[in-house]
Amino acid sequence: MSSSAGGERKVSASLGRSVRGQTPRIQDLASTPESPRTPLRSTSQWFSSPGGSFRTEEEYVVLEVGSRFVRGGFPGQSAPLCILPFGPDEQRRLGDYRQWDPEYKMKRRKRKRGQEWGQEHELYRTDLSKLDLGLLEDKLERVMREAYNKYFLLDPKPRRILLALPPRMPHPLMSTILGVLFGSMQAPSITLLSSPILSTVAAGLRSALVVDIGWAETTVTGVYEYREVHEARSIRAGKMLSEEMAKLLNEELNEDVEPGDPKIEVSFEEAEEVLTRVGWCKSRPKSNRNTLYFPARTSPILEEFEDAVEVPEPTVAIPFPKNTPPTELIIAFASLAKPAEAALFAPQTALNEFDDHELPLHHLIYRALLSLPMDVRRICMSRIVITGGVSNLPGLKTRIIAELEAMVQQRGWDPVRSYGSAGARREAILRQQRENAELRREEGEDKVSESLDPDNPPAPPSAGFQSPEEDPIDLKLAHIALRNGPPPNAYVGGVIRGVETLGAWAGASLVAQLRIKGIVEIEREKFLQHGLLGASKDKEISVVPQRQSMGPGVGRGAGERASWTLGVWA
Amino acid sequence: MAQPFPYTYYSCDCYDSKVAAAPTKHASQGIPPAEDEDERDFDPRSPGANYSLYPLEHLLYCEDCQQIRCPRCVVEETLNWYCPSCLFEVPSSVVKTDGNRCTRNCYNCPVCSSPAVVTTLEDPFDPSSSGGPWLLLCTYCKWTSLEIGIEFEKHTGITAQLARLGNGGRTIPSHKEREKERERRLELDKHKSRDILSGSEDSPTTDKRDDGPPSHDDIYANLSAFYKSQLAAQQPSNPFSPHDINFSSPSSFSRIMNLYSSSTSKKQKREKPTPMREAASPLEGLTLHSPSTDTAIIDRLKTSGWSRTLSPAQKLAQMTPTVRFTSDLRPLASILCTKRGKRCRSCRHILSKPESKITSTRYKIKLLARNHIPRLSLRALHTSTSASASATAAAAAILPFNYDSLRPGLPIHFLLHISNPLFDPVRVTLATPSLTPGRVHTRVTILCPQFDVGANTDVWDDALSGSTDTAAGGLKRFSASGEGGAGRGTEGSGGAVEAGKIWERGRNWTSVVLEVVPGKDGKA
Repeated sequence: MSSSAGGERKVSASLGRSVRGQTPRIQDLASTPESPRTPLRSTSQWFSSPGGSFRTEEEYVVLEVGSRFVRGGFPGQSAPLCILPFGPDEQRRLGDYRQWDPEYKMKRRKRKRGQEWGQEHELYRTDLSKLDLGLLEDKLERVMREAYNKYFLLDPKPRRILLALPPRMPHPLMSTILGVLFGSMQAPSITLLSSPILSTVAAGLRSALVVDIGWAETTVTGVYEYREVHEARSIRAGKMLSEEMAKLLNEELNEDVEPGDPKIEVSFEEAEEVLTRVGWCKSRPKSNRNTLYFPARTSPILEEFEDAVEVPEPTVAIPFPKNTPPTELIIAFASLAKPAEAALFAPQTALNEFDDHELPLHHLIYRALLSLPMDVRRICMSRIVITGGVSNLPGLKTRIIAELEAMVQQRGWDPVRSYGSAGARREAILRQQRENAELRREEGEDKVSESLDPDNPPAPPSAGFQSPEEDPIDLKLAHIALRNGPPPNAYVGGVIRGVETLGAWAGASLVAQLRIKGIVEIEREKFLQHGLLGASKDKEISVVPQRQSMGPGVGRGAGERASWTLGVWA
Repeated sequence: MAQPFPYTYYSCDCYDSKVAAAPTKHASQGIPPAEDEDERDFDPRSPGANYSLYPLEHLLYCEDCQQIRCPRCVVEETLNWYCPSCLFEVPSSVVKTDGNRCTRNCYNCPVCSSPAVVTTLEDPFDPSSSGGPWLLLCTYCKWTSLEIGIEFEKHTGITAQLARLGNGGRTIPSHKEREKERERRLELDKHKSRDILSGSEDSPTTDKRDDGPPSHDDIYANLSAFYKSQLAAQQPSNPFSPHDINFSSPSSFSRIMNLYSSSTSKKQKREKPTPMREAASPLEGLTLHSPSTDTAIIDRLKTSGWSRTLSPAQKLAQMTPTVRFTSDLRPLASILCTKRGKRCRSCRHILSKPESKITSTRYKIKLLARNHIPRLSLRALHTSTSASASATAAAAAILPFNYDSLRPGLPIHFLLHISNPLFDPVRVTLATPSLTPGRVHTRVTILCPQFDVGANTDVWDDALSGSTDTAAGGLKRFSASGEGGAGRGTEGSGGAVEAGKIWERGRNWTSVVLEVVPGKDGKA
């Protein structure tokens, strides 16, 4: 056996050991200035032989670490190779095969005492006071090992990692995640990219208002020219939604239960499955005007009235095999839309009763838009990108955009909600403005109908910005610009418009495929030496040969860097 | 549970070292900071313990570090790739381009994930020349590819055929065709916009082939092509960029020409590059949100109900993450497996290495912990058997001990059996917390905490040289309990549970008695 082991050792030596006789340890790999090794060639860029860049071809692994799922794959692929959840079944001891036991599968698991809804299924939460970082490390390590061994199937070459993380990640969390990737996965370097920017990239945009409806919270990020300019959050997101769904199912299931019998409580998995399979959201805002002006009590009546339109009420039969005895719940299809209503929009509650952290989504988006500078708002409002797991709920995107449109129509872009005694005067001004606008529009329409064929719609950016007078030279310039420059609809602004995105992971895959380097690039050795503290304090490092064309968030081309920064995460 | 109740887990050392290195990490658990020693205590009930406890069979042993190595403290390296279904080795060069999946005929059922087979749909009374249309059939749940409207012409090359077949039988254009089509339409769009500008009305009408909303893959391909074209348009703007020095590239060529031409007087100011623009049309990857798709999905949900939707597991297994209905399912090509060697993480010695032949399950190197670490096992001791007659003993042996009905307050004896795989005798010192942690405080006492376990010598050596009484007796007892199976005390040990004395001893094993007093539920 020893001889064969010797033979193997040769293989390992070629794999990156510098000295044959002495057995290097991991720590040596990290930092030993003494150990003899080929010095890092600082490629003098002027005199190096051409084509040298091909040899240093870097291969990436693209990862997105969310609070409930890890997505991983290779650049250039449209979808991740694997999406791995963090369920309790994934956290069993090795050799504990009880999840394959058919009997165990039919049992409903109870929530452990003191545990929040779905806590077992989370990787992390941003509230670090209740988070066991050691456990997070263990979980992530196991999942990454599974991803690498079962799905990536890589050869032993070290791969760089492109990691999509939400901005504003707490530093202890980040440092733990990076520690796992550097330590267990042996990544030579990790590039961090912020997920809203990647969602923007995956939508084909440069600026957008990214609404990420995730698990623990909804984040609204204004992105302008690949740079985060504003952020707003609300806890109305997936967790609240699935808890509402569980409440609804419990209510329906307990209707037939005898008063003396124990109450049925659906498990997290069941609620989640119902939500992803048949959950939906009403796509029309109901009685929107009313909810704004008469906050509380009038709307339910209206809703009931509207719900009663469909005569044979469509129902859905949902099987509950884990119930004892197994049962099938027949539930009205319309009521499956209620959780989304209650969790995400909360039309029953007056606006002044919400705390700052639990604004309904449409108000959150509206406020985020309102706090953006006017120019940025013009661009962002017609590039609303809704992403995140919950956004797959059918009807939700339509609903959010419709709600927003109604709100903007009603309130305009005025941060003042109540003018008090000055209200009457303001009304008058508004009316005046509206009349003026209408007048102008009529004039404009007249002109258009005279000058152009109605079949051939005019190309100008938007009717509001069209100048009434046409200067021939301006026209010519515009023609030239149009011929050589981008098509006009790349500059749409001023209207509420939703744009679909492929998601942050696909964005990261695109960025990696195009070999665009991020600002935040962390080298393994530097991280292992200093951790996150090694980052320089400036938020933006000037990467010298970099051109700003892709914007600062995603810069292209950069050589060796002396110092590294944490960018938005600093 | 798959493991019967009295099981033994081994805690890998890497847990301790991690905790010692970073004591703050586990301290954030909410446990009040106790004394140093207490904090270091391994708590098997903590959720983190699930990641450091292993059955002995799963552990490897590094002979150089003299430590057990759990899956966390080994580095794995792939030796070769193969399909688990057809056992064909896949060369490493094509693994990645195939998307880590088998490109032969190995498919799994998208509903129940069991292997699907290719069967014929041929009409026996009207046989076709090729053997008739073929389909994929799941042998477990009877799902067929007909449910998604897919039939195959040949029974080989399913992957190639499937790539051209969309759900419902329509043909998907290949990647190249799609690219060409995109180029053509982009050109057309450009012409059209120019025509609008110049005012000419006779723009050629495009053949508006509306095939629904573009797929996830199409959007991605469009976006990727768009970004590539945008970056390429910018490339020559900076000929001095040190990163694309390449003498065959036009940029370096123009730079060299510039150096030698006399046009240096006309020093051009380097232009600021125009910012890359956004995607403006669906062909460039821009997809506007349309409410009609949402309402279509809701209507479909309303009519088709629960059974047509996909469970979370089925959804995760699909290649495109956006599927929702059973009609969107695609058969899953089986994911390749790898043979991997394992190295110790700290000294890089090889711990296990399989033979490279796919069909062989043997190992070239395999350093198992069970060959180096004493095996511990625990079972209940039937005290009644030793006292009563042999007939009832046999009956009791048949009747298994019910571990689920331990009564609080009643002491029960357990037998801890330690066997030694090493060729040297081992001295064992056991320790246990007197009260188990957790909700139910159970009192555990080891009656004989210190003892020796004999070496794992050759059985025949022992038998031949066995002259002393104790060795012979031990051997006898060893064989007796080996046949009997149940942990009954034999006559040799007298049958009495005594503190400070081992219960039984064999050639390379010793068993001692534990006294366990189950505690009451802390709440009750």
